[in-house]
Amino acid sequence: MPTLNPIDASIVGVYLLITMFAGLYVRKYVGKVEDFLVAGREMNVYLGIASLAATEFGIVTCMYAAQNGYKFGFAGATPGILYALSMLFVGMTGFVVKPLRDSGAMTIPEMIDKQFGERIRWASGIVIVLGGLLNMGVFLRIGGQFLLLVTGTEVSHVSIAGFDVPVLETMMTVLLLAVAVYTIFGGMLSVLVTDFLQFVIMSAGLIAVTILILSTIGWDALVSAVATTHGEGGFNPFVNAEMGFSYVLFNAFLSLAAVLTWQTNIARVLAAKDSKTGQQVYTRTAFFFVCRFLIPGIWGIAAIVVIGNVDNSLEAMPKMLAAIVPVGLMGILIAAMLAADMSTDSSYMLTWSSVIYNDILAPFRKGKAWSERTGLFINRSLVALIGIFLLFYGLWYPLEGDLWTYLGLTGTIYLASMSSILIAACYWKGANSWGAAAAIIISAALPVGYLVMEQLPETKDLAKAIGPHYSGIAAYVGSGLAMVIGSALKPKGGVK
Amino acid sequence: MRTFWYYLTIASVIWYSVVTLYVAFKGTFDIREMLENLRNRKH
Repeated sequence: MPTLNPIDASIVGVYLLITMFAGLYVRKYVGKVEDFLVAGREMNVYLGIASLAATEFGIVTCMYAAQNGYKFGFAGATPGILYALSMLFVGMTGFVVKPLRDSGAMTIPEMIDKQFGERIRWASGIVIVLGGLLNMGVFLRIGGQFLLLVTGTEVSHVSIAGFDVPVLETMMTVLLLAVAVYTIFGGMLSVLVTDFLQFVIMSAGLIAVTILILSTIGWDALVSAVATTHGEGGFNPFVNAEMGFSYVLFNAFLSLAAVLTWQTNIARVLAAKDSKTGQQVYTRTAFFFVCRFLIPGIWGIAAIVVIGNVDNSLEAMPKMLAAIVPVGLMGILIAAMLAADMSTDSSYMLTWSSVIYNDILAPFRKGKAWSERTGLFINRSLVALIGIFLLFYGLWYPLEGDLWTYLGLTGTIYLASMSSILIAACYWKGANSWGAAAAIIISAALPVGYLVMEQLPETKDLAKAIGPHYSGIAAYVGSGLAMVIGSALKPKGGVK
Repeated sequence: MRTFWYYLTIASVIWYSVVTLYVAFKGTFDIREMLENLRNRKH
């Protein structure tokens, strides 16, 4: 049974009540589809920073960053450094994000439509949603697993009124329902306001637990554990046997592409008052992405000291927290993690539904525009349908390998093509629909092919030999080349 | 490399603490302004 102390349970309960109230309160400001999808484009810098940071840090983030810390030591925080550098570069230069925001588009495919036509917009919408939903599909299960482990819940089923109720699945469903309710009613407005609250609570919990770890375990013990377990590879990714140059290069491509095109990042640029505000949100949030990997990474390293060897590296960090976090702080920690998870889930549900509505369904409203009322109804229904998908996918998909690589690979399905296409749309007049189509096909085929090979017994060994990093690098390089070659092959004056 | 990670960890904890306090303060004004603009636009 769950071992949550009444004091901790009260802290969690109060947090949930405040969040639900705030999320539902702002629904009255939603009158149009634009209010629902991009908060009427009224978001300012500090709200943007809070929302972006809260969205990009969920329980899943904490779990994979801690797993990286446990498996690779300090070197596991390398993706965070690369992400921060990419974000700083894009924020300072306005590379891609400035022309994107200035175009007035509500989604990336809408911008793509202007140069490559409706068919490419539609195909872009499909791969964005496919990559995004596969990526998000594991969030609920990971969130539920974390909560069970950190509260020390060891039973898989409990008996309630004579029914045998599965604990993990029930936890996942309750988490999802709480998020879905305010996202369906308030859209981006509810997401922004709850993200703000969740950012404050999440950050307080993260900082408090990190200080607890540093003060009780001590820096020297952490360094010594990494040196003993991983040697020099625990500090330097290039000499780590499981990471190396391919890991760093794949993550460099992944970071830049995500900063340019990951729909939840870009949604903040598109909801900003103007391009300057969007760039400021990026520049000022950049260092957060170092913290996003390093702070949970420290938690993962602490698990080496406190727990030692475990069969499943994903479970090491929550088990360590269950062992060292005292009553009171545990309540804050769980509220913080719930806040992190809810802000991520709500933003992700909204952002993929916005692409389905704005781009995939665009051909169906051609000629006769839907009323605002119909538009809002469809958007709300899409958020609910995505929630149902997440629930079933989370129950069904068995996660192989490490979590960060799974997320990177499923994200690559669209990140590789969309970054090539978006860069071309902003800066290359010679780019055309053939190049864009080729980029989409190559970018989706390589990661999906790899994931399928990983699951089939006949091709499992071959997938292992190639490795996820080279498969990911091939997708980025391949889609860039496909964009150039495809554009060059299209006859001049041909149909767009 | 150990010194690099030491300073980066310290910088992360300090930066994150300061930014949390600052954003928590300034963000409330952003929310108020956003809701006010949306209310004015509606009427």
